[in-house]
Amino acid sequence: MSKSITDYIKLSIPNKPEYVSVVRLTVAAIANRMGFNVEDIEDIKIAIAEACTNAITHGKKEDKNNFDIEFIVKDDKLTMVVCDSGRGCITDEISVPNLNDPKEGGLGIFIIKSLMDEVEITSNLGKGTIIRMSKNRGDDN
Amino acid sequence: MSLIINKLYDEQQKQWLIELKGEVDIYTSAQLKETLLKLIEEKQETVKIDAKSLDYIDSTGLGVLIGVLKRLKQYDKVLKITNIKPSIKKLLNITGLDKIFVIEG
Ligand SMILES: Nc1ncnc2c1ncn2[C@@H]1O[C@H](COP(=O)(O)OP(=O)(O)OP(=O)(O)O)[C@@H](O)[C@H]1O
Ligand SMILES: [Mg+2]
Repeated sequence: MSKSITDYIKLSIPNKPEYVSVVRLTVAAIANRMGFNVEDIEDIKIAIAEACTNAITHGKKEDKNNFDIEFIVKDDKLTMVVCDSGRGCITDEISVPNLNDPKEGGLGIFIIKSLMDEVEITSNLGKGTIIRMSKNRGDDN
Repeated sequence: MSLIINKLYDEQQKQWLIELKGEVDIYTSAQLKETLLKLIEEKQETVKIDAKSLDYIDSTGLGVLIGVLKRLKQYDKVLKITNIKPSIKKLLNITGLDKIFVIEG
């Protein structure tokens, strides 16, 4: 039996909207290498982009700061951690959108939770936010 | 590669035909919002989006579409979307937006 190895990939991304597509391309390459199917790769791209978008729009303290992304590749599981040092939020106050009365805003985290297998958000007011999400490669690949 | 918006007013059907090519995300959603709201200002008619070449849309883009629909509703018009790719259809389904936009084909 082969021992499982964990690989780490780290990115530091400027707090600028134009870089979110760079992250999408990067994660697509990683997930593709791991053998995720096309649908899962789309889901993963959407989830990481929502987290980056939040880091940029809500998290940022200053434009010149960067935020960090870590990809953890272990066996059939891809974990992504997006960490910003922005203003943080009270995670208990993040509400589930009312699907019968759609509003502009408040969809991002709901989408991430719908698409990923595990999602964990920790935030400290004034210090920053960490969102950790994982997806397992299914047996149908 | 970002977002290309082609627009045309269909006199016969009395609706705006909008073709979106590329990606709607935090970087391009302001451009979409500005374009669509300007059209509605010009002619208060139904907006029909052809999403055949739309590869990606995120929550900021969906937020723009929700805002546009709210504006259209003031004039009793609707937002139609056609030729949606599976990944985007899934997103509309998750968020329940497939029930408030008119999804065609
Ligand atoms: N990185 C972050 N830093 C600070 N606050 C955050 C962060 N991520 C999320 N939040 C808080 O959680 C709320 C919900 O986030 P979510 O992504 O679901 O919605 P949104 O960003 O407000 O709108 P949308 O994603 O639909 O464009 C945000 O409004 C914000 O208050
Ligand atoms: Mg968001």
